[in-house]
Amino acid sequence: MDVERPVAVEVSNLSKHYGSVVALNGVDLKVYAGEYFVLLGPSGGGKTTLLRTIGGFLRPTAGRVLLHGRDVSDLPPDKRPTSMVFQGYALFPHMTVAGNVGYGLSLARLPKEEIRAKTGAMLEMVGLKGLGERKPHELSGGQQQRVQLARSLVLDRDILLLDEPLASLDAKLRKDMCLELKHLQEKVGITFLHVTHNQEEAMTVADRIALIVNGELVEQGSAREIYEAPKKRFTASFVGENNLLDGVVASVSGDTVLVDVGAGTIAVGRGDLSLAQGDTVAVSIRSELLQIASGPEVGDDRHSLTGAYRETVYLGLTTSHRVTLANGAELTVRVISDAGADATPAPGAEVRVQWKPGAARLHID
Amino acid sequence: MQDEYGNKWAYRLKWAYLLLIVFTLMSPVFYVMYISFNENGFGAAEYVFTLEWYAVIFTDRLMMNALSWTLALASATTAITVPLALLAAKFYKATSRKVLTVFLLLSPLFVASDILGSALLVYFKNLNRAFGALGDMLGVGWFSGWFDLGFTTALIGLVIYTLPYAFIVILITMGRYREQQTEAARACGASGWRAFWDIEFPQIRAGVFSAGAFCVILSFNEYTRTSLLKGGFDTFTTVLVSQMLNEGMSEQSYAMSSLVSFIAIAVIGAIILYTLLKSEALAREARAKAQPLMAE
Repeated sequence: MDVERPVAVEVSNLSKHYGSVVALNGVDLKVYAGEYFVLLGPSGGGKTTLLRTIGGFLRPTAGRVLLHGRDVSDLPPDKRPTSMVFQGYALFPHMTVAGNVGYGLSLARLPKEEIRAKTGAMLEMVGLKGLGERKPHELSGGQQQRVQLARSLVLDRDILLLDEPLASLDAKLRKDMCLELKHLQEKVGITFLHVTHNQEEAMTVADRIALIVNGELVEQGSAREIYEAPKKRFTASFVGENNLLDGVVASVSGDTVLVDVGAGTIAVGRGDLSLAQGDTVAVSIRSELLQIASGPEVGDDRHSLTGAYRETVYLGLTTSHRVTLANGAELTVRVISDAGADATPAPGAEVRVQWKPGAARLHID
Repeated sequence: MQDEYGNKWAYRLKWAYLLLIVFTLMSPVFYVMYISFNENGFGAAEYVFTLEWYAVIFTDRLMMNALSWTLALASATTAITVPLALLAAKFYKATSRKVLTVFLLLSPLFVASDILGSALLVYFKNLNRAFGALGDMLGVGWFSGWFDLGFTTALIGLVIYTLPYAFIVILITMGRYREQQTEAARACGASGWRAFWDIEFPQIRAGVFSAGAFCVILSFNEYTRTSLLKGGFDTFTTVLVSQMLNEGMSEQSYAMSSLVSFIAIAVIGAIILYTLLKSEALAREARAKAQPLMAE
């Protein structure tokens, strides 16, 4: 990310409390202008609270919200340079589609002709040309969400907040709409701040992703960084299909750390972590980076573990093989379904699960 | 929804039972209407249809005066109660202390009308005394008689009486409204008031108008509180009842009662019809919403 780009959204030390319940705890975040930024996390983690606080629907307990460098913490939503797309049911049912899209323009007292022209152009942009006279309930779920998008984009505000905008759509439609959202953002070039609990949705659209859990921002980075090189244990557990093994540092030698994971000792790159013998750590290895080997170990045996083959789970494109280690921990090995279909071991057979050096990652929190 | 495997005759029996109840409840009213069209009045052996009594009521000054007082009270009560009920319903949706709010707002319903009316009567007398003492202390006569029995005191009594009903009617309609729409309007640049007026009000309008109609009808029909708090026995129900007790029902009293009943039935019928049509439209909308999520 180019750090010279202007910052569109900045929150500093933002907290939101409901009595004794802490919904947000000292969150710091910067979103650059023109960026597609996703807030990802489990339900109840605080990501929607963060978005609604940025949008002015919630007043922060502590901390500030700056939009384009201007402190808007005390301003209501209609005084902020943001617009918002909601999860669903937020269209005005007594108005036509065109009425919905043009509502903000009529509030701004634009001439009727201009409202009509802008509304028509925006409906065309979101693929709803000719549907302006329909009522919202006459549209499909995907079309309704497009109307919400059009209603927000037509306002020409440069920050768009999206609160689980695809959550009420079925899987196929959600996938299509994800790409549409991404293309639309590239076309209009404004800042999109999108909340979702769906990692595939986040990966598809995001320039950068921030993980929010228990009211705290755990980690942020590009989709590739978050997926391939998670720094935090939570990120590894939430994004992708990672095998997590808890263990204790057996020794540290240069850039290599030997970790005793109970079922064996494995070698992991130290990275920039500061570790000492006896430290408690976690090791994560993505399931698609593991392989089941039936033959004996060749070379470095610190990149494999032995266990009992348990079962196969066919998932269509991929197949998961589950292996139970000697200490009871489980490993999931994911392969493309057609690859090696004949070599499925019998349940209970001893197998060796191996990975390439560098596939395992170390986490201390 | 009708049980498709249910007994057809049981279904018809339920309808017959319902109609019987309605007929039993309404038959005295129908009888009064029947008498009001008889030229020979109540108890006559011969029935001769006439509209004469309806013409006569407009020449009965006592009755017309009573009707105008009642209309004025009903209008003022509605004008005050409906906005108050709307505010109360908005407050109810926003507050976390819902049980306490409902209890406070419905509490006038738990007290018998004659007890509440008498309590208000005593209360107003004491207020008058207190304000009079205040005026004497300040050496001004401006405070005296603020709470003498009359239009204002009857109006206060009727507002207290009608507020819980109006609150409930509006709240029921408001229950279907989704606050996200208000937030969406705010995100479009609408102020809180503008979002309410443009987005929420059109969707709860039926409830607000129904509450208004209920207020008019309740004010019209109210006897106990009005007779205790208005003074003068010059409203529609008080005149009608005192006439009936002192002289027996006159023919124009039957006509007046029937006229009021016709209007009430027409208003309530219109509200019910409108509400049914509206809920049918909402049900259609809900069905339409439930289906399209799978298809583009």
